[in-house]
Amino acid sequence: MKERKGLIIGSVILIIIFIGMLIKGEPSKNIMVWIAAILTLSIYSFLYRDNIFYKFAEHLFVGVSVGYSVSVVYQNAFIRRVFDPLFITRTYIVEGQFHILPFLAVVIPTLIGLLMVSVFTKRQAWLIRIPIAFVVGSYAGMSISPSFQANIFEQTRSTLHIALSISSFIMIFGVITTLVYFFFSKEHKGFLGRTANVGIWFIMIAFGASFGYTVMARISLLIGRMNFLLYDWLGVIK
Amino acid sequence: MNFWKKVMKLNRRWIFLLIALAVFIPFLKPLRLPLSITKPAKDVFDAVESIPPEGPPLLIATDYAPSTAPELDPMLYALLRHCFVTKRRVMLLALYPQGAGMAQAGLDFILPEFPDVKSGEDYVFLGYQPGVQAVVMSLGEDVRLAFPTDAYGVSLDSLPMMEHVRNYDDIALVVDLAGSSIPITWVIYAVARYGQRLGVGVTAVSAAQYYPYLNSGQFIGMLGGLKGAAEYEILIQQKGYTEARQIATIGMDSQSIAHLVILALIIIGNIAFFASKSHKKKGTSSK
Amino acid sequence: MNVLLAILFLMQQTPDSLSTDTVEIVRPAPPTDVIAMDTPNDVGGSVSVQWEISEDDGKGLNNVILYNVFRGQSEEGPFDYIGTVGAGRTSYDDQTVEKDKVTYYYIVKAQTKEGVESEASNVASGKAAPQWFHHGRWNILILGILFALFFAFYIRMAKGKELFIRKIAGLDAVEEAVGRSTEMGKPVLFCPGIGYLYDIATIAALTILGRVAKKTAEYETRIIMPNYDPVVMSAAQEIVKQSYTEAGRPDDFNEKDIFYLTQDQFGFAAGVDGIMLREKPGAIFLQGVFYAEALILAETGHSVGAIQIAGTDRVTLLPFFISACDYTLIGEEMFAASSYLSRDPVMLGSIKGSDAAKVAIISVILVGAILGILGGLNIGPFGTWFQSLVNWFGRG
Repeated sequence: MKERKGLIIGSVILIIIFIGMLIKGEPSKNIMVWIAAILTLSIYSFLYRDNIFYKFAEHLFVGVSVGYSVSVVYQNAFIRRVFDPLFITRTYIVEGQFHILPFLAVVIPTLIGLLMVSVFTKRQAWLIRIPIAFVVGSYAGMSISPSFQANIFEQTRSTLHIALSISSFIMIFGVITTLVYFFFSKEHKGFLGRTANVGIWFIMIAFGASFGYTVMARISLLIGRMNFLLYDWLGVIK
Repeated sequence: MNFWKKVMKLNRRWIFLLIALAVFIPFLKPLRLPLSITKPAKDVFDAVESIPPEGPPLLIATDYAPSTAPELDPMLYALLRHCFVTKRRVMLLALYPQGAGMAQAGLDFILPEFPDVKSGEDYVFLGYQPGVQAVVMSLGEDVRLAFPTDAYGVSLDSLPMMEHVRNYDDIALVVDLAGSSIPITWVIYAVARYGQRLGVGVTAVSAAQYYPYLNSGQFIGMLGGLKGAAEYEILIQQKGYTEARQIATIGMDSQSIAHLVILALIIIGNIAFFASKSHKKKGTSSK
Repeated sequence: MNVLLAILFLMQQTPDSLSTDTVEIVRPAPPTDVIAMDTPNDVGGSVSVQWEISEDDGKGLNNVILYNVFRGQSEEGPFDYIGTVGAGRTSYDDQTVEKDKVTYYYIVKAQTKEGVESEASNVASGKAAPQWFHHGRWNILILGILFALFFAFYIRMAKGKELFIRKIAGLDAVEEAVGRSTEMGKPVLFCPGIGYLYDIATIAALTILGRVAKKTAEYETRIIMPNYDPVVMSAAQEIVKQSYTEAGRPDDFNEKDIFYLTQDQFGFAAGVDGIMLREKPGAIFLQGVFYAEALILAETGHSVGAIQIAGTDRVTLLPFFISACDYTLIGEEMFAASSYLSRDPVMLGSIKGSDAAKVAIISVILVGAILGILGGLNIGPFGTWFQSLVNWFGRG
């Protein structure tokens, strides 16, 4: 009962503020902005409690995002990479001559890719291993050497870039103790255990920094929406 | 009930309300809190400034979706303004499906300010291509491999701006605006393999993760979250390039106040946690 | 319209179209010392042209804005325009060479803002050729082979005898969590995140799933697993089925409890949230690949009072798990945990192999730090040694 009373009072206050802003500001004349604003508010209503407005907005969002992704991938992958080269631009016909290699370069990857669909059958599901093997194998091959360079060589080099300063010693100390924490071949006891404990401190401090940044990011999202509601929709701020 | 216990049991809706107010009020009553410019942001700005006008283009990759737009859109706007005001050429592309929409929306928002800026001459919007690694690598060979046409279906060979642009050798700088781990792909395939200069604009969530790459020089600079966007806005404003409404800078007041509120909540929450714990202990020992 | 603009632009840019009858043409000085050679470390089809900048580039008349590069089949020409680079640059890679091992001739001209070109530079000749090895990347090859040897060695060793891997704290909690769920009469929820079968973290999560399922089979507790990817789902069904069979309770296995939800990130998060609120599981396992939905899931799980054991290799999301879950497998711990559970020699061997690689890296850093300090204090030749170590890592 008490909660219901609070809810009514809260809603009344919100409606009064809203009407005040409508009168004082310059509300958008664009219907799309209104739809976006109402959907935004519907989503935020979840902060009070799950409700029908939230559910509607959420399902709409899921549906729209899936539809959008499907159409974008269809247009950019299937149409631009398969359909166009095969039927429109016909990359395999050069000066009236049919060339088998450019033709196969489109057809074979397409067929291998289609094997992905085999997952929907019970008996042929194993065929999906073929495209997955291609993806995993080629990406591993492509990325081993550059990731070595980007993640091991460059990072080791920059760790080594030391000057006789406190911060570079802290960095080296942090890198080594963290690596020790992720050393699994020995029980973490004695000297190794103490080093690993220092490592976990470094890891936690790094996580703390990351967490702080995350808080900033989440607030930024709220700020973005607030800016939209107050500037684009209601026009109460400059 | 003990005060601290009450704090521990506080309905979380009050916290939501408090944060909402902390963000809302500075919008109505701007405080104009001073902002410091950090080196990573200045480095991105300087890198763009060092590109010769009407010379090799800046490539902006919009690898984000609406969910991270509040942080990354202001960066896109600021970069586009910076380039268009100073007659620097821009290439835009997306490795993330929704990114193409973000780039188009950004252009639609900024272009009315620059009636002289023309597609194909001052900027080229390449659209989206699937296959992140493959696209980043193919740009090292020839842009046309991944993007035979621009997003509007015009062949790249017919665009004056693209005449001298073939691969990374002809691209002055890449700035990746991303809400995901795509910058790593750029580092691995564009920086490590082709020696491309790369700056990034990332969400604050992922900024901490990217400091090692900044430290090692694999990123020439970084804009981290709304703060990074605000810094870039201030940098272009200080140069007198634009007087447009600076979204990120306006938002930073709310950001600072919200951070203060959260700091206070963390402190109060911890005191309450330990106080109610010691209270409990006393309770059991006296039994 | 665009085509028209393009033609206009081309006419304006092509050096041949320069009006030669203008009276005052102040030509900039041409670039000098042009050399052409095969572009190193490539598959052929490219010649690198290098030159010294024009006397009027950044000094002298200071009016050079770009360099045009021309190529011909013979020393006398004719030379066709092939590309342009900005002022201050001293090289151009001609990647349009049609035939390897054929000599081409190059000249370079400087050009001013007004479109006035310099005289031609000297003629340089060069051939393109493919190389088998990228000589700038020996360091990667050496370290790659070394690391691969570590892996091969340990995998071989693991096949002979059981290798030791330290216990991972989060793993002991698995039994505790399943046990508590059983006591409370609540199901166990296993969420594999939003990864695919080719993500290492997802594979590790499935190994951990095998262990969890074995425990739930033993305790006769229900296990619920919503899925993001259909392929992961079918793999998970197989694994859970096998665990139940191993535990001697194949009839208790319910395929419908391991189901597909949706492939939309936040749709999935909302769905899993709903399941948590309705089923109120006693234990929640969040193992695999997670993105922004991690915090939503972990928070909801916390609010329903479940014991939560999380694990992921995504550094950005670990803080959420650490703050909202009871136990968290941090990054590689997750892989170690899954090898520890599976006892598969290949997996155990690779954990051991990466441990050996870590020892190698730690030693390099330690040696580097000592050399750096000694070098910084100007003792002996250590400074140069240090520099060459750093350079070795910076190559390529």
